[in-house]
Amino acid sequence: MPVWLRERSWRQTLTAVYLSLPLRGARATPANIFCSEQYLKVSIPPFLFEAILYAPIDDTNSTAKIGNGNIFFTLYKKEPAMWDSLTLANADKEKLQYLRENAVLKAQEKAKEETEAKKITKQEHKKYALEATMKVEEAERKRIEDLKEKERQKVAKELELWKKQQKNGDKYKSIQKKGELHQEIEPLKERKSEKINKTQIPNEGTSKTRLKSTKGHGSCSIFSQNLKEEQLPAPRAAATIKVNFTPRVFPTALRESRVAEEEEWLHKQAEARRIINSDLSELEDLKEEEKNPDWLKDKGNKMFAMGDYLGAVNAYNLAVRLNNKLPLLYLNRAACHLKLRNLHKAVEDSSKALELLTPPVPDNENARVKAHVRRGTAFCQLELYTEGLQDYEAALKIDPRNKNIEKDAEKIRHLIQGTMQSS
Amino acid sequence: MSAGAGAERPQVVSHVQQALSYTVFDCKWVPRSARLLCLGSAARGTGLIQLYELHGARLELLREIEKPKPIKCGTFGATSLQQRYLATGDFDGNLNVWNLEAPEIPVYSVKGHKEIINSIDGVGGLGIGEGAPEIVTGSRDGTVKVWDPRQSDTPVANMEPVQGESKRDCWTVAFGNAYNQEERVVCAGYDNGDIKLFDLKTMSLRWETNIKNGVCSVEFDRKDINMNKLVATSLEGKFHVFDMRTQHPTKGFASVSEKAQKSTIWQVRHLPQNRDVFMTSGGSGSLHLWKYEYPAQRSKKDSEGSEMGVAGSVSLLQNVTLSTQPISSLDWSPDKKGLCVCGAFDQTVRVLIVTKLNKI
Repeated sequence: MPVWLRERSWRQTLTAVYLSLPLRGARATPANIFCSEQYLKVSIPPFLFEAILYAPIDDTNSTAKIGNGNIFFTLYKKEPAMWDSLTLANADKEKLQYLRENAVLKAQEKAKEETEAKKITKQEHKKYALEATMKVEEAERKRIEDLKEKERQKVAKELELWKKQQKNGDKYKSIQKKGELHQEIEPLKERKSEKINKTQIPNEGTSKTRLKSTKGHGSCSIFSQNLKEEQLPAPRAAATIKVNFTPRVFPTALRESRVAEEEEWLHKQAEARRIINSDLSELEDLKEEEKNPDWLKDKGNKMFAMGDYLGAVNAYNLAVRLNNKLPLLYLNRAACHLKLRNLHKAVEDSSKALELLTPPVPDNENARVKAHVRRGTAFCQLELYTEGLQDYEAALKIDPRNKNIEKDAEKIRHLIQGTMQSS
Repeated sequence: MSAGAGAERPQVVSHVQQALSYTVFDCKWVPRSARLLCLGSAARGTGLIQLYELHGARLELLREIEKPKPIKCGTFGATSLQQRYLATGDFDGNLNVWNLEAPEIPVYSVKGHKEIINSIDGVGGLGIGEGAPEIVTGSRDGTVKVWDPRQSDTPVANMEPVQGESKRDCWTVAFGNAYNQEERVVCAGYDNGDIKLFDLKTMSLRWETNIKNGVCSVEFDRKDINMNKLVATSLEGKFHVFDMRTQHPTKGFASVSEKAQKSTIWQVRHLPQNRDVFMTSGGSGSLHLWKYEYPAQRSKKDSEGSEMGVAGSVSLLQNVTLSTQPISSLDWSPDKKGLCVCGAFDQTVRVLIVTKLNKI
C-alpha cells in the first residue's frame, strides 16, 4: 500500500497554479513525476501523490522544481480562470481510473511523437551536412579542373600561334622563291627528267596552299640540292661486322624474374638426358625385353626361386641401372644378398628400399615389413643386435599380427640380455 | 596530381586524343610543321600511314596511305628538310623511303631483312649532324644493317651473327656520335639483354654489355655530338643510363640504373631541346619524365691509372598514366618544346603538352 502524500500547499493566479509538495525525506528525480493535461502524479515508492486537476493545464510548459525536500510545481492553466480548488472534488473511482489511463496514454503518445520529430530533424541535419560536404568537394574539384583547363588553353593558344607563324613563314618564303626562280623552272624541268628516282614536279594548279608551298620548296631545293649532293661524302664502302651473342638456350627474351625457373628446367632436362645417355651407350647389344626393368625383375625373382642368387643379383643390378626409383628391386636384391651373406650390401639395399617406400601408406605395408625384417636379419647376423631389434620392432609396429616376427624379436631380446649379462 | 602541389613541376597535359581503327606501332612528327604521322597495321593485314594536322583541340586527317604489308617503324632522320621523305620498315623486312606527296612508288626500296624490321633510325638529314645520310634497321633475323639511300640493294654495313651462331632478335637500333663526316656509331639492343656498340668508321665492335633483361629501346641523347649519354630501356621496368664519354678498357662505360615500374619500358625519347631530360613510356600505359644530373666529376682514375667514367643520378620529374595498354611509341616535336605525341595499343594516339620545361 502506498503512503499517500496529503500535505500540500498551493496558491494560484489567473494564469498559473503554484503547488508545493513536501517530500518527507524522500528523494525525487524527474522520472518520479508524471504529468498530463489534467492529471498529476508523483510516485516515489512507497510515497504516492496524485491529483486530478480542477481544469486542464498546459503540461508542456509547466515546470517542476525539485529541491529542499520539496517539489515546487508551476502549472500554467490552459484557460485563465480562478480555480475553486486544486483537485476535482467529486471524483469517483471510475472517473479517476479513466482519467489516469487516459493520461498515461496521452503521455505515451506525446513521447512517441517527440521521438518521431527528433528522428526527422536528425535526418534532415544529416542530409544537410552531406550536401554541404558534397558542395565543398565539388568546389575543390572544380577549382583543380579550372586550373588544368586554363593551363591547357594557354598551351593550346601558344601552339596555334606557333603554327600560324610556321605557315606564314612558309608562305612568305615560297612566294619569294617562286618570284625569284620563275625563269629557272624550265631548265630545271629538263634537268630533272634526266635524273632517276626524283619526284615529279607537280602541276602549279593544284589546290591546297600548303601543298603548293612545299612544292614550291621542292622546285627550288632540288636546284640547291644538286650543289649540296656534291658536298656530301660518298656512300661508305660496304663491310660486314660479325657479331657474337651472349648464349641463351630459350628463344624467348631474357627476363630477370624468369631466370630461376629457366635454370631449374634446364637442370632437369640435363638430368633426364644424362640418365638416358648413360644407359644407351652400354645397352646397345641387349634385346628389347631386356631393357624393361619389370621383365628383369621377374627374371630376377625366378632365379632367386631357383637358387641362382648371383644371377638374380645381376638381373636386379641391370634393372636398377634402367630405373633406380623402383623400391621392389632393392628389396629383392637385399634378399639375394642375405642369402649370399653379403650382409652390408643387404643392409644398404633394404635401407634404399625403405627410403623409396616413403610415404608410409597401407599400400606399401608389406614391402616395408619385408624391408625391416631383412635389414633386421642382416644386422643380427652382423651381431649388431640392438639395431636388429629396432628393425624388428618397426616391422612389428607395421604388422603386429605376424607371429614369426614376434618370435624372432623375442629371440633377439634374449640374446641381448644374455650378452649384457655376460659382459 | 593536383596543379597546386608541386606547382613548379612539369605537368603533362593531354591536349588531343584520337581514336584509330587500326593498331598504331609508331607515330612521328613531320619536321617543321604541326603535322604528325601514324604508322601501323590495319585489321585486314595491310599497312597504314595516316597524316594528321593539329587544328586547335583536334586532329584532322589529311591523308591516308595504304600499303600491302603492315608497317612497324618509321623515321625522318635521313632526309633533308625540304624533301622530308619518310623511311619505313615493315613486317616483311622491306625498307622503303616514301615521298608523302607521291606515295604510290617508293623513292628507295629494298628487301633488307628476312623477318620483321623491329626498329629504324636515320642520321645525316634534317640539317642535324654531318656526313652522309644513312638509315639503320634492326630486325628479328638478328642482323643490323646500315643503308645509304643513294646506294641501292646492298647495305653499307651489315652486323650479322657469326656463321653457325643462333640468332637473337634485334629489338632496337640508334645512331650516335655523328659529329663529323667520318665518325658514326650504331647502338643495337637485343632480346637476350645484349647491347652492342658498332663503330662505323673502323667497322668494328666497340663495346658490348648485357643488362640481364631484353632491351626494348636505346637512344643517344644527341645523334650529332660526341657521344655523351645513352639510355637503354628493358623488360621488367628497368632502364640504364650510360655515360659514354669515358670508356674503360675492361669495364666499359659507367652506368646508373633505375627501376621505374613493374612493366616493360617500351620507349625512351630525349627532349630535343634539352638533352638531359627524357621521357620513358611503359607497359602499364604510363609516362615518366626524368632528368639526369651529372656527377661532380665525370671521370676518375681507377687503381691502374686508367680513366673510368662516373655515372650521375636520375630523378623523376613527373609521371602520369594515360592508358591501360602499353604506350609503344613516343615522339617529341623538334619544333615546339614540350609537344609530344604518343601511340598506344588501345588504338589511340594522343598529343600531349609538357609544361614548365623551361624551369628545369
